Amino acid sequence: MKRLLSAVRDICFSRALFPLVIGFFLLLYIGIAFVTNDTLTELMELTRTNMFLTLMLALLPLSSVGRIAAETGTYLTRRRILSGKVVEVPTELFDENVRLPASSSFAGLQGRLNAVGYKTSGSASMLTAWRGVDSFPARGLFLTGTMCLFAGIFISLSIRTSYRGTVIEGEPFPAPTGNGGIVERIVLGRSSGLFLSKSLTMEVASTGDGKAGGKFGIYPPSRYEGAFVYPRYLGVALVIRFYAPDLPAGYETHSILSIYPPGKEAGEEITGSPYRIMLTMAEPDDGSDPFMTGRMVFQFKLLKGKEVVLTGSAPSGGEFSKGGYRLSFPDSRRLVITDFIQDPGVLLIWSSALLFLVAGGIWLPVRVFAPRREMMFRLESEGIRAWSRAEGKSMSHEGVFHEALDTLEAARPVT
Amino acid sequence: MVAVKLIPHLLSWAGIVFVLARGVAGRRSTVASAAIAGFTAGVVSVSVLFRFFQGDTPYVIIRDIVGGSLLLLWGVSVTAVYRSNVREFPLSWGGRLVDTPFRTIIEVLAAGILAGAISTCRFSDMAGSALPLILLVLAATAVVFAAMAAEKFLPQSFTMSHAGLMAIVVGLLIFSASSLIRLDLFSPLTMKVMKFAHDFVHQFFESMLIPDHLFIRDYLWGYIGFLFGKEVGFWGGVFIWFTPVILVAIAIGLERLPAVAHIRQGAERRKILAAAIRARRIRLVIPCVAAVILAAAAYRSCFPSVEYWDPKPVPVSADPSGEIFIPRKGEIDLEDGKLHKYLFKQGGKEARFFVLMTPGGKLTAVLDACAICKPDGYGQAEGTVICYYCRTLIPLETVGKPGGCNPVPISFTEKADGVHIDGLKLINDWGSTVQATSRIKGEGK
Repeated sequence: MKRLLSAVRDICFSRALFPLVIGFFLLLYIGIAFVTNDTLTELMELTRTNMFLTLMLALLPLSSVGRIAAETGTYLTRRRILSGKVVEVPTELFDENVRLPASSSFAGLQGRLNAVGYKTSGSASMLTAWRGVDSFPARGLFLTGTMCLFAGIFISLSIRTSYRGTVIEGEPFPAPTGNGGIVERIVLGRSSGLFLSKSLTMEVASTGDGKAGGKFGIYPPSRYEGAFVYPRYLGVALVIRFYAPDLPAGYETHSILSIYPPGKEAGEEITGSPYRIMLTMAEPDDGSDPFMTGRMVFQFKLLKGKEVVLTGSAPSGGEFSKGGYRLSFPDSRRLVITDFIQDPGVLLIWSSALLFLVAGGIWLPVRVFAPRREMMFRLESEGIRAWSRAEGKSMSHEGVFHEALDTLEAARPVT
Repeated sequence: MVAVKLIPHLLSWAGIVFVLARGVAGRRSTVASAAIAGFTAGVVSVSVLFRFFQGDTPYVIIRDIVGGSLLLLWGVSVTAVYRSNVREFPLSWGGRLVDTPFRTIIEVLAAGILAGAISTCRFSDMAGSALPLILLVLAATAVVFAAMAAEKFLPQSFTMSHAGLMAIVVGLLIFSASSLIRLDLFSPLTMKVMKFAHDFVHQFFESMLIPDHLFIRDYLWGYIGFLFGKEVGFWGGVFIWFTPVILVAIAIGLERLPAVAHIRQGAERRKILAAAIRARRIRLVIPCVAAVILAAAAYRSCFPSVEYWDPKPVPVSADPSGEIFIPRKGEIDLEDGKLHKYLFKQGGKEARFFVLMTPGGKLTAVLDACAICKPDGYGQAEGTVICYYCRTLIPLETVGKPGGCNPVPISFTEKADGVHIDGLKLINDWGSTVQATSRIKGEGK
């Protein structure tokens, strides 16, 4: 059991795990691309439904956690070594590791290192020199961002639920857990924002049984009972009354039409008859938006089979009649086709974007202007041991390190 | 003529043997014999493939294997970067394998088989005749000895990393394949990238709950729309194409210099470091050459030296019942195996389509556009039609079948006298499938 746990830990901590899993999914993507054009959608669906693939995907955030743990451990160990709290120095923590044959002292070396810009500290038996900023905080943020990103994707693929409802003025809010309060108003306006050209507000009243109401906009999406409210399309809920010479009894329907923006066409079958009405919202001559103003005029085309028998237009509340046909629109209301999405992964993915941004913002200037360079000298029974590492500008750092060793060598007492 | 067309293949083969001889120095006889054996095996395998499979299948198999080699190069280049950058990267078993003679034989054999297979595709229309294939193997053998002799003139200091060696071998194989339009990789790659970009943007919007274009500013939507265009496919393809060799170069650049801290003479240290840096720079030559070869292959793919058959659309009209009739024989012979384009106009709308007799002997009628790309139309060459927009090759056998970048099939009736098409349905088909794509991606030609 202990060996198994150790093996699992080694796998999670391994740097190879992450690229191997990514490579596996890349190969799978390429394989799927041979058989279908909707490769990405298929890959997502396959990962969602196949336990093995889901577990493979879960390895990515797990690997990131493993790397965070491993690299934090390495960082802390190195700090303790440099402060002299740990004597045993693992070779992989430093780039160079040298033993000078005879004992010596650090006299003069500290001053030389200070002169070339290194900060120093130490005791009679040890000297530590460093300059620049460690990139570990940026690396830690990057790894945390990676963990959030893939945890978000994993959660999103595994448990995301989506429910589509139609939010209509004057009707109850179609929440996934049952109807909410009455939708008091749907307001579409112009937005002066950098990214959005329109603003949309759905104002919902609270219900008597304690369900809170609220205002729901476009972005960032608001939440209702734990689900994100994601407006997708605009349309009109239209009451259509229709009479025809061969349909004297008439026909009335409450139609949900996705006919916004003006010019977009939608159809309504007249059940039990050969008739079909195609509707569009007319574009006002003054260039205004009918959804914003509420002044809606509907253009229609009446088809009997494939034959167009009537065309015309009528405003909301108006009527059109010709040749025995009569079509009226007694009521129209704004509607928003809305997705209610329960997906905690979204927040993690947003967080990852923020973390990547901060990590990049820290890493780039540190790496370019002040990369961490460290060296350590320790007096031991058989002579001096020295270690060195650099995260950047390594050539000049190695030059300083080698000269420091030369200085120690030159200071060695002649025997 | 075929001999002239073989020149790029034999040049690539010469380059492959040349670099392999240097890359696995000390095993010259092994390289020579494995190269000749591999090339011969490739020639024999593909001639067998052409004997047993009709149509596009042998090309698809070879193209996928060449594509697989690019993928393998990706893996090797990423591993090389990790090995240069990460001290504890666990590849000791891999390192042991890399230095065995077994690896040398496998690599040279694989390169030989692929090079032979690609070259043999030049003789696909000479199926059944052994003489050209024997001459090809003899020419390839002569090239092996010439390349081995030339390699001796390279200075001994000219070394290459294992990843660099693979980069240039894969680059030369891809260059060789790009000489044949049906083995070309770059154009299909750009098409796949374009599709991926489209799907990714869509999925990203859905997943991140980003509002649809209805609410987004026009200028911003213009930028997002750029992601659906051909340029993204091209640049994405360029990224996938060149990144492995760039990674190989980065891996070489990141190679650790030898530890010299134990040497107490500064001059000696500097001498060792300078020699290491010089050797590292020399090793960079190979990935740079590989990048140039891959650029040449991409250029050949984008500007192939092939004349496409692309007739001017002939205007047609419908009879009073709305039917378009195209006679089987007449000024245009529908059975000549070439595509014949037509233009139908009605009520201010128009639709372009073409009629073609497939290699299976059946007439087919399709729109001169697909359901994905901007309707730039199709040209015909070497057993395929090509989408001018994304440069995807569609085998003639599959024209008339829906999906992907295939021209959109239209309903028609084939009678003894010719092809009959419903004009209204044709206009509607064009409107519903093609205009949707041209609205997203700009006007077609």
